[in-house]
Parts: sequence; C-alpha cells; structure tokens
Amino acid sequence: MIAWLRRRLQSWMRPRQAESLPVRLRRNRIYVLPTATGLFFALLLGTMGLGALNFNNNPGLLLALLLAGAAQASLIAAHMQLSGVVVDAVAADPVPAGEPLRLRISLGARDQRMRRGLRISHGDAHAHAAFDHHGGTVELPIPTGRRGLMPLPRLELRTLQPLGLARAWAYVWPRQVALVYPAPEMQAPPLPAPAGDAGRAQVTRAGDDVHHLRGYRAGDAPRSVAWKASARRDSLLVREYEQHRSDQLLLDWPLTAGLPYEQRIRRLARWVDDAERQGRRYALGLPGQAPVPMGLGMAHRHRCLRALALMPGEAAHA
Amino acid sequence: MPEFRPLLARLKSPPMQVRGRALVLLATAACLLPLLLQLPRELGIGFGVAAVLVAAVSWRRVPPMLLRLLVGIGMIVAIAAVAPGVGRDTACAVLAAMLALKPSETVSLRDGRSLVGFALFAPFAAFLLDQGPASLLLALLAMLAALLALQQLAHDEAEVRMPGAAQAWQATAGVFKLVLLGLPLALAAFWLFPRLPTPLWGLPERVVARPGLSDSMTPGGWLDLMNDDSPAARVQFFGPAPPQHQMYWRGPVLWDFDGRTWHQLKQWRFQQAIPKRLKGPAWDYVIEPEPTEGRQLITLDLPDQVPKDAFISHDYSVYSVMPLNNVSRWRMRSLAATTVDPQLPPILRMHALQLPRGFNPRTIALGRQWRREAGTDATGNADAAIANRALAMIRREFAYTLNVPLAGRNEIDDFLFDRKQGYCEHFSSAFVVLMRAAGIPSRVVTGYAGGYRNPIGDYWLVLNSDAHAWAEVWLPRRGWVRVDPTAAVAPERVFDTLADRQPGRIGGFDGLVPMFNASDWMRRGWNDFVLGFDAQRQQRLLSPLGLERIGSRGLILLFAVIAALALGWMGWLLARGEREQDPLLRAWHRLGRRYARRGQARGMHEPAEAWAERVAADVPRAGEHLRALSGRFSAARYAGIGPAELRRLLRDLAAHRP
Repeated sequence: MIAWLRRRLQSWMRPRQAESLPVRLRRNRIYVLPTATGLFFALLLGTMGLGALNFNNNPGLLLALLLAGAAQASLIAAHMQLSGVVVDAVAADPVPAGEPLRLRISLGARDQRMRRGLRISHGDAHAHAAFDHHGGTVELPIPTGRRGLMPLPRLELRTLQPLGLARAWAYVWPRQVALVYPAPEMQAPPLPAPAGDAGRAQVTRAGDDVHHLRGYRAGDAPRSVAWKASARRDSLLVREYEQHRSDQLLLDWPLTAGLPYEQRIRRLARWVDDAERQGRRYALGLPGQAPVPMGLGMAHRHRCLRALALMPGEAAHA
Repeated sequence: MPEFRPLLARLKSPPMQVRGRALVLLATAACLLPLLLQLPRELGIGFGVAAVLVAAVSWRRVPPMLLRLLVGIGMIVAIAAVAPGVGRDTACAVLAAMLALKPSETVSLRDGRSLVGFALFAPFAAFLLDQGPASLLLALLAMLAALLALQQLAHDEAEVRMPGAAQAWQATAGVFKLVLLGLPLALAAFWLFPRLPTPLWGLPERVVARPGLSDSMTPGGWLDLMNDDSPAARVQFFGPAPPQHQMYWRGPVLWDFDGRTWHQLKQWRFQQAIPKRLKGPAWDYVIEPEPTEGRQLITLDLPDQVPKDAFISHDYSVYSVMPLNNVSRWRMRSLAATTVDPQLPPILRMHALQLPRGFNPRTIALGRQWRREAGTDATGNADAAIANRALAMIRREFAYTLNVPLAGRNEIDDFLFDRKQGYCEHFSSAFVVLMRAAGIPSRVVTGYAGGYRNPIGDYWLVLNSDAHAWAEVWLPRRGWVRVDPTAAVAPERVFDTLADRQPGRIGGFDGLVPMFNASDWMRRGWNDFVLGFDAQRQQRLLSPLGLERIGSRGLILLFAVIAALALGWMGWLLARGEREQDPLLRAWHRLGRRYARRGQARGMHEPAEAWAERVAADVPRAGEHLRALSGRFSAARYAGIGPAELRRLLRDLAAHRP
C-alpha cells in the first residue's frame, strides 16, 4: 500500500517526462518536507511552546519560538540550496551490461550562493556535490541491465542542508540515452582460427622481438612507450614488435552457431575484447547488416561492440 | 538510560564525525549549564563534574551498560538525598542527570540529533525555576550551539568538507542568518499569539522552597531569610510614600502557638473580611512581588482596597486567587487606620488568647502578676498600661542580636529572663505570649519592614533581609494596635537605616551602589516588559492606538496578518533568489514569455534575431518592431551600450506586446 502510494506520488512529481538539458531548477519543481528529525523537533517545540503558554513563561516561549522560526527558515534555506541549480550536461562512457554506468553530471548555478552537500542519487547509488557559480562535476554510478540503448533514469537531487530538519528535493530527467555494450561471456573458448592468408609477418604492439621505434599515436598502451628513447628525442616513441603469426580474424556470426541468441552476442563481444587485448586485427560479421571491416584500436572496438549492442532482440531476429 | 532500539536502525544511521560529535557535546553542555545553575548547589556542581567525566570516558568507546546504570542510580540517589520528594525542581534535576549521562552512548548521527533535541529541554526546564535575564542569555547561547551542532551533523551526513577557520565563521554566520530569518515570525507569535488568561494545568511545586515568608514562624528560624539580599517586592507609590519607619509590609498573621511555632488560623485563612470603612491617611501604590508560588501577598499595613483577583482576609492578610507563579503587579490602597475592628468576635478572642499548656511557666506567671497589679477596666487603659510596661522592660533590658543559640523547651522563658538577646522573631513572639498571659488578645504579624528607595526609577525595593515580625494587641474601643517590640530596642536594625546595611554597599565602600541601583532598575524593567507580558497586557497591546481591548478574535486576525506578512517576506526572499540577476535578460525573458503564450516561443537553439525573423513572418506588424528590439538587445548583450540607452531599451522591452 505504502509502496503503491509512493509510486503514485513519484509519478505525480515533476518532471513527468524526460527533458532536454540544460535544466534549471525552479520553485515549481522543488519539493520540501520535514525529515524525521524535523518532525521530532516540531513535536519537541510544540511541547515546549504549549508548556510555556500554559505557565505564561515568556523566556521559555521566546526560546521555543526562536527555534521554531529558525527551523522554518531552514525550510526556506533548503529550498534555496536547490533553486537556481542548473544541470548543464550529462555524459557517460559505454560499459558492458551489468557494470555500473559512470554518469558524469555537470552542475552549475546562475547565482552566487554556495551549494554544499547536494546529494544526487538514483536508486541506492548516490554522490555528493559541492559547487558555487563556477560549477562542478559529480560522477554517479548507475546500474545497467541489458545491452542496447538505455534511456537515462530520472535523477534525484536532494539536500538536507542547512540543519537536517528539512529535505528539499527535485528530479531531473535528461532526455538522453546511454549505450550499454553486451556483457562479454565469462568463460569463452579461445579465439577462432585466423582467416585469410596465414603465416604473414605482422607488425604489432605485442610480441617478443623489437622491430623498430615509431612516433606515438593516440591509443598506444603506456607500457609500449620507449621511455629512454623518448627522453633522448623530445617526443614520445613507441616500440613496435614483430610477431610471426597470422592475425586477420573474422569474427563471424555463424562461428557461434548452436548457442542461444543472447549468448552468441556475448561470445562475440568477448572475442572482440580478446582480440583487442592480443592486438590482433579483426572484423565482425553480423546478420542483417554490413560487416565491420578489419581494424584494431579503441574506435574499432567501439564500432564492433556498438553493432553488437544494437543487435535487435531475439524475437525481432526470429 | 538504556535504550532498546532495533539493531538495524542503529546500524543504518552512520556514525558521527569527530567535529560533529564535539559540537553535539558542546551544545549539550551549553544547554545543561543554565539548568545546573538553578539546581541546589551540590547537585549542580556534582552533575556538571559527572557530565564532563562521562563525556571524557566515553569519547573513544561506549562504556559498559553496567557502569552507565550505576552512575545513573548514583545520580538519582543524590537527588533523593538533597531534595527528597517529587516536585518541579527534582524533575528538573532528573532531566539534568539524564542529559549528563546521555552522551555516553551517543554514537550515530541519529543519536546526536536526538541528544541535541532532548538537550533543548534543559534551558526550558531552567525557565521553570528561574526566568531571569541571565538564564535567558545562557539559553540563547545554548540555542545557537544546538543549531550549530545540527548544522555540523547535516554537513557530516552530506560529506561536506571545509577548511577549519573558514568553516567556524561561515557556520556561525549561517546559523545567525537562519535565526534572523525566523525572527519576524517568532516575534509576531510571541506578541500576538493569543495567551491563556488562566493556565490549563497547574505548575508542580518545588521540593526545595525558596527563602521567603511562610505560613508559620519558629523563633530562631529566619536566619537564612534575614541574610538573603534578594528582592521580595518592588513598590511604586502614586503620590507621597509613607515615612520609612511606617513601612510595615503586612504578610501572614499568626495566631496559634504550640510552644515552639506560630501558625496561621488555617480554617479561617480564606475568610474574607467584611468590608469596613477604615479612616486615615491613604497611600496608593503598585506592588510587584517576586513569584513565591504561594497565594500570600504583602501589602502596606493596613490594606483597604485590592484588585478583583485578590481579597483581604479577616486579619488583613491579603491573598491572591491564583498562586504567584510569575511576576505580577497589584494596584493597592492602604490606610494608616486609627480604629481597626473595635468589636472582637468571641471565637477570635479565644484564638487571640490561646496559649499552650505546660510551656514557659515564668512568662505566664509574669503576665498574670502584671495583670493583678494593673487591675481590669472596660476602657482598656489597664491593657495599654501592661503593653507599655512590657515595652519599657524590653527597651530597658534587652539587646538585638542575630547570634542566638538553639531554642530549648521553654524558649520564651529563656529569652525573657536569662538571655535577653534576640531578633524580631523572639521579641514579637515573647511579647505576644506575655500579653496573652496577661489576658490581652494579641497576635504575631510577619512581613517586611522598611525598604530601600532606588533613585533610578524612583521606586522602593523590599529585600528578603527586610523580613520582620511584630505584634498586634487588641484594646477595647481602639481595636487592633500595632506594637513593634523590636523597634523599641533597635529601630536602625528594623528599618535598615544603618549605612552598612544598604544594598550594593560592601563594608564602607559605596562605589558599587549606583551599579546596584541600575541593575535592579533593569531587572524591574525585565520583570515588567518581558515576564509581565500576559493575556491581560496582550489585550491592551493596541491601547496606544486608541483600541482599548483587542479581543481574542481580533488578536488571532492580527496574528494571522502579521504571520502572513512574515511568511510572505520569506517567500519574497525565495523568489528573489531565483530571479535572473541581469535586468536586461529579465526583461528579454519576460518578453519571450509573452510570445510563448501565443505559441511563438523562442527555441533554445534559436538566436534572438533569427527568432524575430520567424515571428515577423507570422505577424508582420509586431514582428517588425520585435526585429528592431532583438537587434538592439543583441547589441546591448554583445557590443555593450551606455546606461541611458540601456534604460530606454529596458522600457521598450517592457512596453512591447505581441
């Protein structure tokens, strides 16, 4: 019953649908209610005030009223902590399904008031932000469930400042989606046999024999940097190794035949990661779309995993 | 005190940080201080020390339950030993004991918050015992400390970290700001929230009574009272004041003597006097007695007219209808009457002649002997002669001293025949016994004598040390006549005309007297304006504006209006906090909202001028104007314009309608 009521209330609170950023919190979407401590204080001050009125105890009454006034003002102050806050942008790097999405939230304010202890939460996860008009960023882990495009949830911004007697909160619901890669299979068979002409020597970043040094390119692993050589020149140099191995992999959909649909996707995701880790060039062939050509590196990996993530659901596929 | 809270709830609330915990302890100490100062001294000091020790021991870890229990029991035993009984002061002492012990098990944020909440009861409890300005000042400091602690706990919970020095200053400023924000609402409620004309429930009495007059007197029992320099009453005369040696402030009148102690006539106490026409010079005055929690009032001898909520009893004691729990003001009229009660009812005559059997045989023999020598006559001349003879004997042979040994069985005999030294209690008591032995109806009257005139404020101050007892004898045709045997011996001790007995004087040094005068004058103002504000005064709040009585409905209305104004002010602060700072942007946004109502809102991506173009395509006439305005707006935003031109632009933006 209470859970139902809470859901009803939640659905009634603003915003009732996703909105495009930036969003500025105004009074029509800020809610303020006393906390349990606040209710306890109200009871306490009520008792004190009633006793003081009964005995016409003016100092007691004055004390109770001053406290009540300050508590009332703290409701206002809690509201002021939220009002004027601007959620400028949110961003998140894709993660495999099941791992928390690290949502970066840029906050700012158009006025001079300092914001402290602003709690941003979704579900059980929460982060605290403190910023003034220069703005600030917090990172909030958001649980992910399934691969694909995940609409961002409604986020709660909450503050108990300044006295912990009142809770002011507001919701922000960015109209934005995050990409969730398929979760790689935990225990997968090794990479399939290479395709194409075998036995060609290939210059890669992994291997045993140093082939030569070349200039640093974005995406090179730090451990492949030749630090001593780099120090002699004034730019970063990277060792390239020679490996005698055939490396052209074709990660093709039929290779995973026999497995359940989702697991096939997960295995391919795992193979993509494996190939990436071993530094072997790979291509990805998926049903119903053009194959991803041979390649290696972060951008290539993203392209492949994105294609896997966006595979239609099993029902649609069948 | 042990608490059986579900373990889960305790685990859920995170522990306090060091700074939060320190502030919670500080707030508890600040709240406890005004209360400890009002407890009996040994309890106050003991609990204070105990609180510090408990806090120090339990700083690192919660001490075992058994230890806490033992300390708690020890405190309760201490209370029972110092003040046995159940009363307001013992209840306050129990509260203080609990608060002193509570920090020993305060670990989580929730514990800290509830401790701060409960601690706030302590200053309130202190106000039940004392309502002086010092208590209020300490309580206000305690309130600030409590708010600071709450704020720190909120910071702890939200993981707010700030550098130390900046934090202390900012935190204090923040708390002050909150109190100031709430001040208008608080003051409106204080003055305008309807007060109760009569309390709904009574105030529990104290176990340890404050020094003051009581309804009985044991000779030798007033030493505490006579050394207590706290005020008993303040009096303002309208017109001339009586000379100081005629200032007899009449309190309880004592009739019954059991050999040791004098008592009031209990069954007759609230018997009202039949209104009589007394004659003599009259004095009008307002008396403000300190709250005694009894109903006895003191009046200048002899009361003639008293307010409606007080009455004069048959022996001219004055009682209030309600106990004097707060400071109060009484407008009275007294007379120096020449003839009081020329007829004495037989039952009262019997009481006025009563003597216990088997006490003070020598005194009784002396009284009878004097009666035989004086004879009897109906005119009362013989009675007067006996009284004068007693006075003459006392004046001749007796001396005044506060240094009196413990009383024996025949105390009056010892005093009259052997010791011949004592103070007002002994003189009045022995005189009345002697008179009764001689067959003259007589009674002891207690009260205060004399007073101190404060030149600041021009009022009279009656101190507890002015407590006095005198006698009244009843003479045929003249009625009750005041006889003060003590004044026959040491008038300077009775009326405090000795220089060294002046308040504020230390030995021969009187440099502090003006300070004493000023502080007592301020205290009187405090009593008057702060403590004396009640339902009646509230009703007359608007009398300077010509409105004599407000009535409770009017009061509620007025309160509602002022409270709404105060809340409106807070709301205005809110709205202002949200308002766009730049007036140009504000005017531009307002203009945009006017178009948005017609469905022509500016898109977020749309520059001002592009939007104006779009609107101009729809509504050519207004759009043309808008295009000009948006051009000027862009120029003002990005190129900058002079102040005069900016003013013109603001006016045009405000005037423009789609």
